[in-house]
Amino acid sequence: MRQKTIITSHNNSFWEKSKEILRYRELLWMLAWRDFRIKYAQSFLGFAWAFINPIVTLIILSFIFGTVAKVDTGDIPHILYTLAGLCGWTFFASLAGDAGRSILSAQDMVKKIYFPRLILPLSKVFTSLIDFGIVLICLAILMLIYWYPVTMNLIWLPFFIFLAILAGVASGIWISALTIRFRDFQHVMPLILRVGMYATPVAFPASAVPEKYQLLFFLNPLAGVVEGMRWSLLGIGEFPPYILLSTGVLLLLFISGWIYFNRVELVIADII
Amino acid sequence: MEENVVIKVENIFKKYSLGQPVAGDLRSTFSNIFNRKKQQQDEDNEFWALKNISFEVQKGEVLGIIGGNGAGKSTLLKILSRITIPTKGSIEIRGRVSSLLEVGTGFHPELTGRENIFLNGSLLGMKKKEIVTKFDEIVDFSGVEKFIDTPVKHYSSGMYVRLAFAVAAHLEPEILIVDEVLAVGDIAFRKKCLGKMSEVASGGRTIIFVSHNLNSIVKLCKHGLFLENGSVKFAGKIQETVSTYLETILLPANTDISLKNRKDRSGSGLLKFTAIRLMDNNKNEIHTIASGEELLIFLDYELQDSILADLIVRIEFKDVNGNYAFICNSRVCKGLFLQIPKRGTVTCMIPKLPLNVGEYHLDVIGKVNGQEVDILLNVVNLSVETGFFFRTGKLPATYKGVLVEHYWDLNNSKF
Repeated sequence: MRQKTIITSHNNSFWEKSKEILRYRELLWMLAWRDFRIKYAQSFLGFAWAFINPIVTLIILSFIFGTVAKVDTGDIPHILYTLAGLCGWTFFASLAGDAGRSILSAQDMVKKIYFPRLILPLSKVFTSLIDFGIVLICLAILMLIYWYPVTMNLIWLPFFIFLAILAGVASGIWISALTIRFRDFQHVMPLILRVGMYATPVAFPASAVPEKYQLLFFLNPLAGVVEGMRWSLLGIGEFPPYILLSTGVLLLLFISGWIYFNRVELVIADII
Repeated sequence: MEENVVIKVENIFKKYSLGQPVAGDLRSTFSNIFNRKKQQQDEDNEFWALKNISFEVQKGEVLGIIGGNGAGKSTLLKILSRITIPTKGSIEIRGRVSSLLEVGTGFHPELTGRENIFLNGSLLGMKKKEIVTKFDEIVDFSGVEKFIDTPVKHYSSGMYVRLAFAVAAHLEPEILIVDEVLAVGDIAFRKKCLGKMSEVASGGRTIIFVSHNLNSIVKLCKHGLFLENGSVKFAGKIQETVSTYLETILLPANTDISLKNRKDRSGSGLLKFTAIRLMDNNKNEIHTIASGEELLIFLDYELQDSILADLIVRIEFKDVNGNYAFICNSRVCKGLFLQIPKRGTVTCMIPKLPLNVGEYHLDVIGKVNGQEVDILLNVVNLSVETGFFFRTGKLPATYKGVLVEHYWDLNNSKF
């Protein structure tokens, strides 16, 4: 079958675009594999770095919230509680950060070769999954040390992984598209991630937030994702009450991001 | 669309905004919202890179696109390769397209040659299976077998480019869009690339090729498209397109009248040369040139009366002793100039001046129907400086004469 392409001043429909991305899936894998090689296989300590980062964050958080502020986490060691929260957050933060920078850092490619640009932020999912896996390994080790049991809640983990991917990709494509139009946004993402970590119940339980702010608190979709992931990993608390709200917000963010990205995609090479 | 047409370009326009940084910051966007005057300015800053371009490409056709700087060639290629969109108009393409606007796109310095072949190949649209089957061929073509598992950051720039081109050369799209990539590597490798290109072209593939190098255009292409200021100025057979291009790049301004009033001329006088200008490839008038550079000679003439036919022009290069260096003869090189108008300019282009360092002068002779109509000796002086006729930049020190392009090898002949 002969491939037929029509080039005009407007972009293809959502449906056509999705089919095209499917056609380019080999490139998606290739870019993901390249990121993996560059991120882990090249530096001297290689994989060790992937463990060092979350461990340092864990130590800081659990010192501040556990030792200094003495946040109440029930009968679970605070360090375990925080690490379970970090799982979801690290995953999101690494994905959103990488995806947000993806277009700008691939300028040369974008100016010289055509491919659906959405592939760039999407390809970051795989390296973030590896980052996530590393934190999970740390958690597993810590759970063994404390001899902490796994519960049936674990079967919900894939769902929360899916939500974290959705969150990371949605913010990533929004930021990457905005960065093309307005360079200022490359400074916005690190800010969001820094503030976001404290606005999300990583090192403290959501229940510590006063009742009247609860709804507002859960408008941050990551609150639901992080709480939910901890619930499924450690089997504590209850199924996050506002998870439908989080999912809804994420879907909205994702779809609007996709639409905005498609509009910006047309002019990327001209203005980058 | 007809059966054989694989690319159909219809009324393509492309607008760019000048001056104002489009990938702006928030501040300029806000100030735009509150500043109406600025919008007016923006309209003044519009620039149409392409204006109403239409053409068709048949299956298996090799089309060369030529034109000066800023004529819109690159913009057109970018639109055809879908890197950017047209402001108006539409293009229909049938078949798998690969575009090479630069070799080595996506190469990562930390990855090995092997890894970069796979990465670059898939960026250019090759399937992994295809790359696996062609892998040995690609490595062989590039000549970097030994270093294939070394990160490319340790490659010399020559090796890097050869590997990059090797990947590109093994693409097998139905339609190939190429921009100037032949200008890479050393001369031997360039020759190899050109060979590969003609091989691809003769294999029935459709190719669109942009280059400043008229020689390779003529060698590779059958049809040509001449762009000027964003519009199609001429489209047709490649020879005709190149001649039209050469005719238009001459400057009509007859500022130099030094030949007009010369009395020391012989010939029947049916035609008189009125001015001569030597220029480099940037259309700057010159009297000094580096060896191996492109030289353009513009000869203005006037006829005594109406139209003449069958003109031959000869330009003789002589050294300080009056010995011939070489001769440019329009009859043997191109054929007769038929139907020449009352006033005009004859242009001669020497792509690579084969002269050693020294002082030279030019004689010009015009002939019509075998009869000499104007002979002028010593019309202009040209001094040649050291240059890159050979890619080493060296020239024979004692020998004064014409240089010949040639190649050397030891033991394993590449020829």
